[in-house]
Amino acid sequence: MSSNRLSRGLNGKDLITVGIFSAVYFVINFAFMLLSALHPILWILMPGFIAVFSGIPFLLMCTKVQKPGGVLLMGVITGLIYFVTGMFTVIILVTFVIACALAELSRAMMKYASFKGNLAAFVMFSLGMTGSPLPIWLTRDSFFAQISSQGMPESYIETLKAISSPTMLIVLFAAPVIGAFIGAYIAKGMFKKHFIKAGIV
Amino acid sequence: MNKPSCLHIDPRTGLLLLVMSNILAFIQPSFPLELGWIIFLCLLTALCGCGKAAVKWLLVFGLILCLQFYILPASPKLIATGCSIFANYTRRMLSCAIVGMLMVKRTPLRELIVGLRTWHFPQKLIVAVSVTLRYFPAIREETGYIRDAMKLRNIHGLQKVEALVVPLMISATSTAEELSAAAVTRGIENPAPKTSVVELRLNAADWTCIVTGVLFTAASYLTS
Repeated sequence: MSSNRLSRGLNGKDLITVGIFSAVYFVINFAFMLLSALHPILWILMPGFIAVFSGIPFLLMCTKVQKPGGVLLMGVITGLIYFVTGMFTVIILVTFVIACALAELSRAMMKYASFKGNLAAFVMFSLGMTGSPLPIWLTRDSFFAQISSQGMPESYIETLKAISSPTMLIVLFAAPVIGAFIGAYIAKGMFKKHFIKAGIV
Repeated sequence: MNKPSCLHIDPRTGLLLLVMSNILAFIQPSFPLELGWIIFLCLLTALCGCGKAAVKWLLVFGLILCLQFYILPASPKLIATGCSIFANYTRRMLSCAIVGMLMVKRTPLRELIVGLRTWHFPQKLIVAVSVTLRYFPAIREETGYIRDAMKLRNIHGLQKVEALVVPLMISATSTAEELSAAAVTRGIENPAPKTSVVELRLNAADWTCIVTGVLFTAASYLTS
């Protein structure tokens, strides 16, 4: 019974592939997360930056695992490790789950092997990271009250308040979409230039 | 690996402490509680045989406090803003980092897997997560080798990124293939319930840790 389920779903090889590329994705993600502490604007653009640079591991994973569940598993692993680092909020959990579900859906609708389908999935997946700065708009008052009680400097809060206008909210969501397109085309170029020649895709 | 004189905590206790550290970081306890929690975790680290690491963590905590209360208010504004955000994040993440480091140093992955299995995590998730965790040190190792190779060949600028990313991805792909071949041979796809030589049991020390953690969490919840 369960062997039946295994053969239809992700098998051992798929799980290991997803696991390894999740590690690579997480390293990129975490590096930009740390970088975003430097200035508030970097934090708002962070999902976009992550999308530009994580295109290769994501699309490589997609070409290796052409089955439902791969992207979802990658999201769950990233979420679990973020939980360990203490940088996890309920909002990011919600956006991650929605993003992974939409990514799975777009892969399922546009065939798992197509570049378009994977690109759409990558856009959705990248949007999941918007949950990190989203509390600035979603729960504005309690968010600012919380960070000022945490001892964030007054000047940081002022800058953050000044730049987090409603138009910035559009930028927050536009950045990962644009970033994902750039990231995916960089990845496509790399595939052509190196990976197909090396025989790994 | 385990010195007989050291305390050995169960991976499940470690995970519970991590969860509680997360909750504590989220509700922002008052200073005495925060200090108490850090000291408790450092004590635990020392008892588990990582005395040096415990001292290091305490120094880091002291340094952050000094920075936040004495140095930064007196330093120029530009430096102060950047550094205080950094100090703030580090202080919030510190307890998680202590538990995380302790688990990385003292809990073998094999035990963690058995621990997660007893909590009925899906087998597929356990496989993927444990591969991810095991691959982090491998990434560091690989990048070290690639950097050395780049130094030899005198690569500069944007080329450096490409020269780092491509071999990293290729080695990730080939590792995935080799590892899956090995894992399939060893029966990773066997549907029968897995067994293990590792037997986990929560002892008095584990319960002490869990109860202390719950007490700290409850106290900070009630006082916040």
